[in-house]
Amino acid sequence: MNKNGKLLIAPSLAWLSIFFVIPMLIVVAVSFASRTTYGQVVFNWTLDNYIRFVEPLYISIFIQTLVVALITTVITILMGYPLAYMIAQLPKKWQQPGLILCMIPFWINFLIRSYAWVIILRTQGVLNTLLLKAGIIDMPIQMLYNEGAVMLGMVYALLPFMILPIYVSIEQLDRRLLEAASDLGAGPFTAFRKITLPLTMPGVAAGTILVFISSLGMFVVPDVMGGAKSALVGNLIQNQFLSARDWPFGASLSIVLAVLSLVLIILYYKAIQAQKGGERDAAKDVA
Amino acid sequence: MKKIIALLLCAMTFFLFGCGSDSKTADKGDEQVLNLFSWADNFSPEVLADFEKKYHCKINYDVFANNEELLAKIQAGGSRYDVIQPSDYMVATMKKLDLLEPLDKSKMPNTANLIKSLQTPAYDPDGKYSVVYTWGVTGIVYNPKHVKKAPTSWADLWNPEDKGRISLLNDNREVIGMALKKNGYSVNSKDKAQLETAVKDLRLLAPNVLAFDTDTIKQKFIANEAWIGQMWSGDASFTHKDNPDIAFVIPKEGAVIWADTFAIPKGAKHKELAEKFINYMYDPKVSAKNYEYIGYNDPNEKSESYHSDAYNKDPMLKAARDYITKGEWIEDIGDTLTQYDRYWTELKTGK
Repeated sequence: MNKNGKLLIAPSLAWLSIFFVIPMLIVVAVSFASRTTYGQVVFNWTLDNYIRFVEPLYISIFIQTLVVALITTVITILMGYPLAYMIAQLPKKWQQPGLILCMIPFWINFLIRSYAWVIILRTQGVLNTLLLKAGIIDMPIQMLYNEGAVMLGMVYALLPFMILPIYVSIEQLDRRLLEAASDLGAGPFTAFRKITLPLTMPGVAAGTILVFISSLGMFVVPDVMGGAKSALVGNLIQNQFLSARDWPFGASLSIVLAVLSLVLIILYYKAIQAQKGGERDAAKDVA
Repeated sequence: MKKIIALLLCAMTFFLFGCGSDSKTADKGDEQVLNLFSWADNFSPEVLADFEKKYHCKINYDVFANNEELLAKIQAGGSRYDVIQPSDYMVATMKKLDLLEPLDKSKMPNTANLIKSLQTPAYDPDGKYSVVYTWGVTGIVYNPKHVKKAPTSWADLWNPEDKGRISLLNDNREVIGMALKKNGYSVNSKDKAQLETAVKDLRLLAPNVLAFDTDTIKQKFIANEAWIGQMWSGDASFTHKDNPDIAFVIPKEGAVIWADTFAIPKGAKHKELAEKFINYMYDPKVSAKNYEYIGYNDPNEKSESYHSDAYNKDPMLKAARDYITKGEWIEDIGDTLTQYDRYWTELKTGK
């Protein structure tokens, strides 16, 4: 790299190391420390926090969090793919507005949008009132403060992160391949399964990672829409900092979460690569 | 290339310089700055403006969302602030960590107007480091339209008829403390057997709970989502104004009394002004104006005649006032806090 190039990336490198690498290292260091009676951090390089994490109580919270994240990811794929596909099929001039509609919610703070859901879903809320007035139900339904509401909030919050990367990959798809498939006698379904789906998998993969990782750390939704009744890892970490005054344990939980996410991403990429390889081999066999 | 970098550097210096000069304007001339670190919306804006005018100063109002955030910021360098507002147990913690300046009450004569029992609270027995600002009692709030039999005891929260309509504060000390009280123990218990009993009760209660909530609990009662639950007296008074059906009771087993206080952190740069400010806030007339706005209990003994009739007769505030000497303070329990957090996590995971 020439000198000017180095100078050019210097600000972003400095930014990353000051505001990302150093705080990360501090978190790592704190995770090997312990707390005093009044919550001060003492650096005595111990593994206690990690040993404590291996207890069934905390492992079960991690498993619960993984399950919620997995379900969220699957639902966002099932909902996001058709939507992204539909937007990509729109006439060019309607595609941008379609995407902007997906982005509009980001203009409003997420916490406020969560409370908006509370107003919609609570027993005297918009939805229950409508259903009551329409005579569909005669008693308000308890829609909030349960696992379903948490699921809804997560899917709502993260759906755009699935739609956007899938849209990009569908949009980049070479339409001539589909025409060729049709010329060679493939029905629309076969063409979708053999061409569109495999070629848009990178978009699905990117969306999956964005959604999965984000849902692992989520704590606003369980608090606001779940009535703070369940404990996900995000809430557990939050408690260590805001009420238990146990920063070292909170830090070690964060590190475990980060490492876990990293391992899952690597495994996922490997699986996708293997699948792609398999498909290429299959294509060769046919030829 | 170099030109671009030079331009960037210029822009950055300008930006930094711009920020620097901005904060300087506040300190210009003989106009002093009072750096106040407090909860959001904790003062009548008019009262603050009056103080600024009277003492030719500017108040810099920074907010924190919870005590742990306050502690972290003060530990990182408390001298940035002149007046802080820790809650009761946090005063004890900060005192033990040597983060607070002893208060010279002779420079704040108005603090003698404080209700006597609030001058010597358990967390600061000689009132040397803190002055009570807002206070209240955690009792049971309920809606008599739905809860037919008026509750008298914490045990009434366990009534199966209210299943799915019960709210608890999202705070491990308040909730576990409540269950301890129900069994006749101290809210600060460190005894394992007592804690086990309390948590066993809570395990039965948890499936009936609508939500654990501290910040938006008022809305849940106003919208009739919750029928019975734990609430601070000040919040109960607020809820009552919007939903007149709501009633409030302090259970017979006893309840927690709590307070947010004024304190001066070690190394405060404008200590004199801080003292003037604290003194000003306990002037009976100022108190009345301020607490009418906040809606919480006024700790000032001399201000009653300046308050409105509606305020003096407010049933929730009165309930707290009548109970003032009997409430139990939440104290710092040191290492046992980790145990509380563990029980709390277990309750939330249904274990």
